[in-house]
Amino acid sequence: MNLLSPDCLAILILDVIFTIFAILSLIISIQIVRGWDIDSTTKEQYILEKRAYLVAVIIKYIFYLKLLLFLYFIYTLDQLSNILPGAMCAAGVTNATKYGEPLFIVKIFDLYLFGFWLVVNHIDMKKPDYPFTKQKFLFFITIFPLLLIETILEVLHLGGINPEVIVSCCGTLFSAAKSSPVSVFIELPTSLILSFFYGNYILIVISYLYKKSFFTALFNLIFIPVSIISLIVFFSTYVYEQPHHHCPFCLLQSDYNYIGYLLYITLFGGTFLGVSAYISEKLGFKDGKKWLKISIILDSLYLILVSYYCLSYYLTNGVWL
Amino acid sequence: MIEVKGVTKIFNQGAVRALSEVSLEVKRGELVILKGPSGSGKSTLLSIIAALQKPTFGEVVVAGKRISKLPDDFASLFRRENIGFIFQKFNLIPTLTVYENIVTPLIPENLSEDELNLKVNRVLEEFSIGHKSGELVKSLSGGEQQRCAIARALVNDPLVLLADEPTANLDEKLSMQFLEYIKNIKLKGKTIIIATHDPIFFGLPITDRELTIHNGRIE
Repeated sequence: MNLLSPDCLAILILDVIFTIFAILSLIISIQIVRGWDIDSTTKEQYILEKRAYLVAVIIKYIFYLKLLLFLYFIYTLDQLSNILPGAMCAAGVTNATKYGEPLFIVKIFDLYLFGFWLVVNHIDMKKPDYPFTKQKFLFFITIFPLLLIETILEVLHLGGINPEVIVSCCGTLFSAAKSSPVSVFIELPTSLILSFFYGNYILIVISYLYKKSFFTALFNLIFIPVSIISLIVFFSTYVYEQPHHHCPFCLLQSDYNYIGYLLYITLFGGTFLGVSAYISEKLGFKDGKKWLKISIILDSLYLILVSYYCLSYYLTNGVWL
Repeated sequence: MIEVKGVTKIFNQGAVRALSEVSLEVKRGELVILKGPSGSGKSTLLSIIAALQKPTFGEVVVAGKRISKLPDDFASLFRRENIGFIFQKFNLIPTLTVYENIVTPLIPENLSEDELNLKVNRVLEEFSIGHKSGELVKSLSGGEQQRCAIARALVNDPLVLLADEPTANLDEKLSMQFLEYIKNIKLKGKTIIIATHDPIFFGLPITDRELTIHNGRIE
């Protein structure tokens, strides 16, 4: 029996609707990329200009809504853990089928790619002569397969969860045991991981102070995996106050004041804006400097939050975990 | 100032061809009368020059800007800064006062209250309706409504003034008065196009050119 709760159905229906609209947008995007000639005053070009505006609005709302839907997706996975035997949090639900893990990775990739498309679209719409219209639709054509793959994986995963089958809990999935996909990181020396994490942050700040936006973007990109690994291996244990609990999903639960949402929003938001600022600079858009400032603030907030749990534990107990 | 190059406008997916390959050039400060019977395409041409509509194909350049290519948001901005439009039925907002109607085009510019008052009072006085500024436009006479409409079209000091059948709802006396206003506006160097089939505009000494439009073509 498949597990099709109202939440899952809502997510599936919305994502299928978005995909249908995206397919229609793809067809018109291909027409735009093939036929676009801004200097032309032919009937075909005027039709393309009208369609470009309409399709850009459709894609924009698909991507905005999918960004919001991602948060709901995470929340739903967490809620499903209550009815899935063996699952203690969203990690167990993610691993309930073989499609869960790739789905999660594709979703995070898509978050960034959709966001970058929105940045290019925002800049294009701010100018009167459609300077990046062809590029943004080409970009959409490029990322469309990922959107399609995400929907297919989502249907396969949510539709394939069997509530009668016992799944692994996060204690098994995120442990030092050889069967765990993160065991290789958990076995690394803590000092090395922390050096990478704080060193990476310092490089972001230095490149920001020296106005090297390319390096700020690059270090922000590197900051994503480094932060997630350091969170799993080290910082999460201080949130849970348990040396062997490494799950990045349990942070999303009420037991830990939903701190995971704040951590992931600051991490993903900060790194996204750090890269977006570089893209906007390359496209000649001035607001990128403002985005860079917000990026640094969010990155710093993330660092302060995860560091706070460690310091707080040490100050309270006088020892490190 | 205004260049219309091979503009065609087709409505209802080809059922109505309002303009066919229209080309036209109007120099800065010119007064052009566009005459022709109802349904000949005069209003369509004016609305395309005003960036209210886009041509099906062809090109329109006004004040050096290729407006036929502007996205909607930028077309609005262009109109606000460069175009004054007087409509056949004036299109005033009946529930607002004269002052409020005239100030409306300036609201998006975020001017201070003093700047707004200065601009609005200038046109209120120029068109002799200052004494009616606090009254609702629906209580005004036809002539007063017409002056209010002209004041609103000119309050943003546009380069181009377009008028679509401006005397269609006026008696002869008020039409003559409108002509006097047009003379003064032309003296200030504004480029003016008036679309009309009112004979009062034909053969005027202040007119630079008269063009006849018929079945969507300039003859």
